[in-house]
Parts: sequence; C-alpha cells; structure tokens
Amino acid sequence: MSAKHQTWGWMLAVDFFFAGMGGAMLVIAGLADLFVGRDSVSLLGSVVGPLAMCVGCGFLILELGRPLQAWRVFMNPKAILTFGAWMMTFAIIFGFIFASFAIDFSLFFWRDSALLRHLVAILMVVTGLIVATYPGVLLARHKGRPFWVGPGIMGLFLLSSLVTAFAAHYLCGLIVAPRNVPYLWEAMPYVLGALLFAQGLLWCGYLWIKLSGTSKSEAASAKRWISGDQSQQFKLAFLFFGTVAPLILTLIPLTMAAAMAAVLALFGGVTMRLLTVNSGNDRTMIPGEAIYRSRLPKGHEKFLGKAWL
Amino acid sequence: MARYAIVMDTRRCIGCHSCTVACKVHNELPTEMVYNPVVSDGPHGTFPNLSMRFLPLICMHCENSPCVDACPTGASIQREDGIVYVEDKKCVGCLSCVMACPYGARYMNHETGAVNKCNLCMDRVDQGLVPHCVATCHQKARIFGDLDDPTSEVNRLINENNGVQLLGELGTEPHIYYIG
Amino acid sequence: MSTDVNLEQEGVEVKKSACYFCHQNCGVLAHVKDNKVLKIEGDPDFPTNQGGLCCRGNIALKHLDHPERVNYPLKRVGKRGEGKWQQIPWDQAIAEIASRLSGIRSRFGAEAVATAGGTQRTDDWARRRFMNLFGSPNGFHNAHLCWIPTFMVETAIYGWCPFDLDLGASRCIVLWGQNPGASGMPEAHHITDLQEKGLKVIVIDPRFTETAAKADLWLPLRPGSDLALALSWLHVIIYEGLWDQQFVDEHCEGFAELVEHVEPFSPEWAAPLTWLTPEQIRAGAHMYATNKPGNIQWGTSVDQIGRPAGATMHARALLRALTGNLDCPGADLLTGPSQDYLTDEELEGNQYLPEEQKAKQIGSDKFKLVSWPGYSKICELTKKTWGKVPTAEWMCEAHPPSVFRAIASGDPYPVKALLISATNPLASYGETDVVLEALRSVEFMVACDYWITPSAMFADYIMPIAGALERPIITNSYGCADFMLTSQRAIQPMYERRNDFNFWRDLGTALGQTDEQWPWKTVEEAYFSAIKPIGYDVESFDEFVERYRFHFPEREYFKYKRQGFATPSGKVELYSSTLKELGLPPLPEYVGPSENEIDHPELAAKFPLVLTTGGGFMPFHHSEHFQVKDLRFLRHSPFMDINPETAVELGIEDGDWVWIETARGRMKQRANLTSGIHPKVIFTQRCWWYPEKDMRDIPLGGQLGGALESNGNILTCTQDDYCDPYSGTWANRGLLCRVYKVEEAELKEVI
Repeated sequence: MSAKHQTWGWMLAVDFFFAGMGGAMLVIAGLADLFVGRDSVSLLGSVVGPLAMCVGCGFLILELGRPLQAWRVFMNPKAILTFGAWMMTFAIIFGFIFASFAIDFSLFFWRDSALLRHLVAILMVVTGLIVATYPGVLLARHKGRPFWVGPGIMGLFLLSSLVTAFAAHYLCGLIVAPRNVPYLWEAMPYVLGALLFAQGLLWCGYLWIKLSGTSKSEAASAKRWISGDQSQQFKLAFLFFGTVAPLILTLIPLTMAAAMAAVLALFGGVTMRLLTVNSGNDRTMIPGEAIYRSRLPKGHEKFLGKAWL
Repeated sequence: MARYAIVMDTRRCIGCHSCTVACKVHNELPTEMVYNPVVSDGPHGTFPNLSMRFLPLICMHCENSPCVDACPTGASIQREDGIVYVEDKKCVGCLSCVMACPYGARYMNHETGAVNKCNLCMDRVDQGLVPHCVATCHQKARIFGDLDDPTSEVNRLINENNGVQLLGELGTEPHIYYIG
Repeated sequence: MSTDVNLEQEGVEVKKSACYFCHQNCGVLAHVKDNKVLKIEGDPDFPTNQGGLCCRGNIALKHLDHPERVNYPLKRVGKRGEGKWQQIPWDQAIAEIASRLSGIRSRFGAEAVATAGGTQRTDDWARRRFMNLFGSPNGFHNAHLCWIPTFMVETAIYGWCPFDLDLGASRCIVLWGQNPGASGMPEAHHITDLQEKGLKVIVIDPRFTETAAKADLWLPLRPGSDLALALSWLHVIIYEGLWDQQFVDEHCEGFAELVEHVEPFSPEWAAPLTWLTPEQIRAGAHMYATNKPGNIQWGTSVDQIGRPAGATMHARALLRALTGNLDCPGADLLTGPSQDYLTDEELEGNQYLPEEQKAKQIGSDKFKLVSWPGYSKICELTKKTWGKVPTAEWMCEAHPPSVFRAIASGDPYPVKALLISATNPLASYGETDVVLEALRSVEFMVACDYWITPSAMFADYIMPIAGALERPIITNSYGCADFMLTSQRAIQPMYERRNDFNFWRDLGTALGQTDEQWPWKTVEEAYFSAIKPIGYDVESFDEFVERYRFHFPEREYFKYKRQGFATPSGKVELYSSTLKELGLPPLPEYVGPSENEIDHPELAAKFPLVLTTGGGFMPFHHSEHFQVKDLRFLRHSPFMDINPETAVELGIEDGDWVWIETARGRMKQRANLTSGIHPKVIFTQRCWWYPEKDMRDIPLGGQLGGALESNGNILTCTQDDYCDPYSGTWANRGLLCRVYKVEEAELKEVI
C-alpha cells in the first residue's frame, strides 16, 4: 500500500519506449529523405513512427490517475512534461504528414512538392529528436532519484531510441520494401550492430560510474542492477538477449538473422525502460526513513479490509 | 508578505508520532498517505555507546520547488507566502511531482486519482492558526512562523542554532529547518 | 479535505472535556452542537498538556463512533465464545445479571463473585462500593503491575507515597524504568523544558528508549536486576559519604542497621548482576546524591519484575530518605490525601464490607501488603497522621492470578462469577493460559467495555460503556493526590452507553442496595458531593469545571516537621517496623530476578536470552486501539527488539517473524534489529491481539482475535514463587527466553 502506485509504473515505461522509438524513427526517416533521397525508408516505417507515438500517448494517458482529464497536461508551459506533450503532438502530426507524401492518393495534392516535403522532414527531424531525447532529460533532472540523476541517462535513452528505431525501420522494410535506395535498408543491420555495441558499453559504464559514484544512494541504486533484485532482468533480458545476442546476429549476413536481431533489440529497449522506470522507486532517503516506510502496511494486511475508522 | 516556515527542534522531538496522527485525522487522509512521518535517525553506534534523534518529516515547501516545476497542468502551485499546494481539480495524477519531490512528500490519492500533499493547513494559517501538526505537539518541537519577520521565533531559532535544511545540497531551499 | 468545520455557527458550545485514552486525562476542548462533537483540540490552558495531544488523543472522534463499538447491551445467545449476541434493553440486562449474581451469592456466598478491572479509566470507587455492599472482597485490577505495590511499600516506610514531583526546583531526576517519551507526553515535555535549564536526567532502562536518547546518563541494566542496582546505590551513598546526615539524624530510624545491611552490596558486587560496570553504578549514585534536590520518578518496571519487586521498591524508597529528598522544595513531595475534598476512599463505602468477608479476600494470606491485612495496618497509621487513608480500590485487592486459578480449580473456594470492566484479561493479565482457562470455565461472566474484546467473547452479557467525551472525570492520581483536575462530558453518552458508575449503581439497586447507600443518581452528582467541601461557590460539578476546573491547595513543604511521618515511630523507618509486623523483611534483602542465569543455570542453558515484555509504546495503550486505523497503520504488526549481533547468530533478518519462547509457551512477533538493546536482551511489545481476525474461540473454529498469537503475556509467569512476597505482583520482566525464526510453512495468515 505504501508504495503501491506511488511511483511511475510499467505503462509509463512502455510510453517511453514507443515515444522514443517513434521519435527516432522520424529522425531517421527525415534525415534519409533529406540526405539520401525520397522514399529511402519503407512507407510502413514512416507510418509506424507517428503511430508508435500515438500508442505511447495511449499508455501515458492510462497511467494517469484521471485519464479523462489528460488534456490538462498541455497547460503549464514551464513544465518539461507539457513541453514534451506539445512536441509529441507536433511530431505525430509532422510524422503523418510526411508519411502522406509517400502515399499514392490523389487527394494528397501536396505530395509532389519537394520543398514542402523537405520542410516537413526538417520539422519532423527536430520534433522527433526532441521526443526521442526528452524522456531521458526528464529523468535526468530528478535530483532525488539517484539512479536517474545526471546527464548519462539522457544519452542512454537517446541511444536506445536510435537502436529501436533502426530495428523498427528494418523490420518495416522487410514487410514493405522501401521504394528507392535499397542499400540504406541493407546497411541498417550494421548500424544497428554498432549502436548495440555502444549500448552495451555505455550501460556497463553507466552502472560502474553510479556504483563508484557520488553518493551512497547512487551506489545502492546501481547495486540493484548489478547484484540486487533487478540484476537478473538486467543481465539476462537486457544485456544478453536485448544487446549482445542481437549484436552477434547483426554480424551474420542473413536477412533472417538481421530480422531476429531487430526483434531482440526492440525487446531490449522495452526491458531497459521498464528497469529504468522501476529504479525510480529508489529515492535518496532521509536517515531512518527507509526503515520507517518498511514498517508501514503494504496493502495486503487484513485490518485494511475492515470498515474501521 | 509572509514567508512561512517550520523549525523542527530535534532536541525536543521525542518521536511520539502525534503530528503524524493529528495530520491524518484532521485532514482525513487515506491510510497510505502520511504527510508527517517521524523517522528515527539511529540508534547509531554499538551498545551501549549510542546516539539517536528523531526527524519529523513534512513537505519542505521549497523555495525552488521541483514539484511545481514538474507539474504539467499547473495544479501544483506555490503561493507568495511559500506554501506549496495542489489545486485538486486541475490535477490529472501524472505523478510527475511525486517523482520530482526529493523528500517523498507527495502521494497519489487512490480514491480520487489526484496527487495530494501537505498544504501547511493553509486554511488554518489564513485564519491566523498554526498547522495541526504544530498545534498537537506536546514537546513544542515544531515551531511555526514567518521567515520575513526578523523578530520571529523561527528566525531566532534558525540563527542561534545554525538551522539546516534537509538535502540542502539539492538547492531546493526548503522552508523547513532543523536544529539541534 | 480538511475537517475543519465552521465553529462560529450558532449553537456551538465549547466543553472542557478530557482525553480518556490513558489516565493522564489531558485537557481537551470539544466544540459541540446538538449533542454532537464537531471538533476537538488540546486545551492550551490545561496545566499538563498545554494544548498538546498525543496520537491517541487525536483519534477521539474516530473512537467515539467507531463501527466496532458496543452501543447496546448484548446477551449471549450462542455457545460461550461463539460470538452470537442478542441486543437487549439496559434494564433487562441489569435485572438478569442481578438475578444470576443473587443466585450465585445464595449458593456459594458473596465472595464467589469477583470483579476485574484494567487501568484507571473507570469509576472505580463505584465498583468498590458495589462490591462492599454486595459483600465480596474479591475485586482486583492490574494494580499490582502498576504503582500500587510501590505506593504501599513507600507508605510503610515514610507514611505516604511521594508521587508528586516538585520538578520545577529539582536538579536531577532518575527515571527508573520509565519512558515518558512514549507513555507520558505531559511529563516528557516538562522534563525537556527543565533539561534546557540544567536538570540532569538519569534513565535506568534496558532499552535505549526515546527518553534514554536524551538523558545525561543511561544505565542499561539487565532486566529485573533493579534490586542489585538499588542496593549498590545505597552502598555507595553510605560508604562514600553522600547521605544527608542532618535529615537522617533528625528524621530517620534504623540507620545503623541499614549501614550494616548494605555493607556487602558494593558496585563491584552488583556489576555482574546488573551487567553494568562499577563506574556506571557509581556515576548514577553520585549524580543523584550530589545534585540536590532530586527526584526518583516511579515507572511500572519495578512493579513488574516479580519476586524481587517489593525489595526493590523498598531499597529505592531508602535512597530518597538517605539523601533527604523528601517533602522539601524540588524533591519528591509527600502530599498526603486531600484535606479539602472527599477522596475516592470516602466514596467507596468500605465500612459496608463485613470483617469476616475481608478475611476471605483471595491471596491476602500469601501477599499481605496490598490486601486487607497490610491495607488495614497502613490505614491505622495514615489515619492517625493524615486523618484519611489511601484508596482501597487499587491498594487493597484480591491477588489476580490466584483468583483466576480459583475460578478454574475451586481452590481455596469456588469463584463462580467474574465481572470485567475496562479490561481484556487475556491480553493484559499474566500467564494467558491461566486466564484463558478461567474465562472458559467461569459459570457467569459480564464484560463492561467499548469493544467486544477476545475476553469479552466469553461473556454472558456485554454492557456498553461511555468513553472519551462522554463522561466526566476527576483526575487525582488514583484518589491519592491532594490536588484535582476535572473535566466534563462533551456530550451525553451516545446510543445506550452509560458510565460504569451507572452500571454498578443500577446493578446494586436491582440487588436490593438502597438509595441511601447510593445517594447520587449521576456521576456528576457524586463528583459534586466530593468537591463541595472545598467551598467553591458553584451549584454543580459542571459549573466547577467551567469556572474553576482545577483545585491546587497551597503547597506546604516539610510537613513532617509539623506532624511527623505516618509510621509507628513518626519517623522515616529505614528499618521498617510495619513491614516486619507483616512478616516481611524490615530491610531490603537481595533476591535475584525471577529467572536468572546465576540461580537457574539449567533453565538459562535452554533459554539463553533475557526477556522484558513491558513498556508502553506509541500509538497503543495496553491492549487498546488495534482497531483504530489511523493508529494501527503506524504499527500494524508487533515488533520485538533484538540486537543485530544476536540476530545474525540466529539467522534472523529485520522484519522476520520470530518465535519468542519461555518455559510457559511461545508467541510470535517480528524482529526489529536495533543496537539499542543488549545482545542478550529481548524486548517484546505487550498485549497484542488482532481485532481483524475471527473472534470466535479456537475450539469453535475461530482465532480468538489472535489473542494467543503475539501476546507478551503468553510468556509471563504468575506462579506464587515468581511473585513478590510483599505484594504478589508477578513477573513480566527479567525472564529467560529463547528466540528462533518462524518457519515459512507456519506463516500463513499471520496478519
């Protein structure tokens, strides 16, 4: 009871995953359009990007205590969450508009304007990049949450967004092949492999820095990942299945292997966010506070079920 | 304009939990919401050479309140007198403020879906009364007053006893000071 | 959100009421409209709490109309312990109970009816009056565990008990087994105030308590070894020349005998018994004896150590006398009974109890000091000096464990009816097994209570009793103080609740006791008759409360210079002729703790740790308040203290459920690992039960409200040879125990 839903839960982690992936997918699609050429990523990928962000929004709304009042999150211009909400909205809009350029539908009269497309691509890259980065920024600013605090988590989230976005684009391309420039799609597994390598390295570095870090509570929070209650999921699910295994698979020059690598990378992305959000339970405690809170009812105690005053 | 503060005198606090219960009863808080925990810092040392003190906790009503900055709806508000409160009807329960607060002073009210917190009994303060947790304290270990009044008891206590703020290194500038 | 209501509205009255959740009775202002309490707050003008309220005080409105409260008389309709009740009118219940008691009296004699009480939150003088008129000497409380033996031992030595501390002018206070930080908030804040002005505080306690943490000197002695400490302090004070020569020469008798008697009790002798160093012992004795005037504050601990209890009180009393810390400014004052108003004793009607019935009081043959033999003797002495005598209720009672045993065994004679008022004996009296057997086998039982407690489950009738805010109160230390604090009802009792005064009066009347014998129809009338002699210009008790509220007579120091001490010699009897006459040692003789590693090595091999089961802890009071959510959340399960070093040896981690076992049995609590306790000492929380559990008796498929699961009294011992020969108080502390983890398989449905 004391801790039940008093911190962010799994739905927010899933939102972070979809938002990050979706945002980075827009970045990749936009940059590809600007620097490689029109339709160099799969149409499906262009659609899945903004769609993923919509799904993320859905989870975010469900996470709220009052989902029907969700519109209010746009109201405080000073809050990073409000900024994020607006950016996500714009990114979704730009994402869909950009996707429309690749759809052969006569009503989309704008689809042949290269200027307009480039403009949308630029806006999409900017907003997408913000959406892909901002969950990390959001967490990094939490001074009382030792696992999150500091710029490191921002980099890790952006990196993971890119990993999952490349994986998603690759899978989309497998289903609906890009119309132009196939080598970009073919190169994706190698990029993915490189990013996964960086991901594995940076995460180990991050935990090591936290462990030997500035405060006891940071060290304690890192311990949960290294040898504590989160270590199994971290080592097995994220590090092995979500990072090392796909990295190895990307080295095998087979489409099947690359596809499997992409799926595993996505899995790794979700796992990492679940673990990271869960680590938000770690707060820098006042001396004696942890034991005090451990003595409070957890929610299953029988007396709580009584209609007592 | 006043700037309200509480001084917690740890030389006097004896860990009786009255403030915890008074707050709960008078504010009709659900069981899981504890605005005024009193935690025991110790015993430290090896028997029988020990030390222990009690730390009454509460929302710190920070000058630089991370919770207000984090609130996307504008439901978290800081008054000019420093009191931080939640305008219930504007809150969507996103928990941003709960996560942002370094002191664990905010709670999701599962009955309403909104986040609630200590508002320093601002209804009472506006009537010239002290918060319930202060009124009930037998030990007079909580002293309520105005930081802007140079002659106030809180200023005297803070100055004479080198009052400190909890987790002061975070730069949140709490309005709750600890002495002793 | 806030429950603050508009108190400015028309018709809101402020009543000067009191908290009723311990017997400090802190002042409470109740804002009342149309017999409804809208709001309560601590009364800033009340001298003790000065506006403060503790956790319990704050929940008064939750308590007042709690869904589990007993609001109407209940008559048992199912099997005993099955929990099937029928609601009946008050008068019908009274008539039926009267007829049952009358039948038992005619078959077995009046002494076959016993009554049990809890702590002092009842109209006790009314119960005593009923019992006296009914003809039974077998009333009792948990009095033995709480101050009463201390009162009587000290009165035997210097003619009254110095419970009124003149703290304002004091320089040193010894808190002997007392932790006001968790049990007496008004006292705690006075001590804190005075500490800031230089008062020295010595805490004698096995635990590093809230109060110990703020003390100048903490003496963590082995539980139950208080006697060795007290004797060695006597030794130090005498042999290191710290005594008050003038006071001893002029006002004490028997100094030479005492000097000789304490010669062997050096700090070096006491060190291995108390687990303190000789230096610690000396430091304490010096601090107390050289910072004069000083006080020794009573705490329940010595009352609860069993066999050495009386001798310890005896030795502790001599410490005051030797240092002259008696009835002088700043010291412990001998107020005597009130000369201004009617004391509780004067309302009790003790004249109605025939001598031959007094002689039948159970346990008075074995434990003479707090039963009729000792009480009569003390009364003769105090009457001569003070003109009045101590309260009989409390100071003169049947021996509780012996009554419970008599109910089950019929020895020394049959006890067939038990009326319990404001007590849950299964949780609060010693050796739960013995109590349980009595409750299961007693022929007829009535419970007067707020709740259906595990003990009340065995009752034939449960009577609804008025509680906090519903009853007027005179607070005057068990009727033995010279001052009084008064408080009024905030509202008339809700539903069919009444004061227990009304229960005893109505029952008495139904049994043929007359209106002349019960001249007051309400408690207020009775209280008004008590305060009338003071001479205030008031027409009613309520008016007194509203206009004056307190009566503090002018303080007179050194009364002994005028009237002597209320002892046979008129002096402080260091060598007590009164105790000697009762067949007790005239000087405190050393007795080891009820169970200890020196006298009982075989037992210690099996039970290597030392147990203390006592000590108040917030937010509960005795066995109360487990069903008040706003308190229970603070400690929803019971915790015992164990040193981390010992816990590691036993494979116990913080929060684990563990068994605590003594030769009597075992119960389980959760481990609180704390360095605030000696590695060989275990402290358990007392009186636990779980109102959320199935309340039916265990053979009927229930759990008896969990009263046998985590209850400290499963471990305590009340056998005669564990009891104090002075008073009969039994052993809650200083017992031998062992601790081990509860197996996972045994853990289902713990809380």
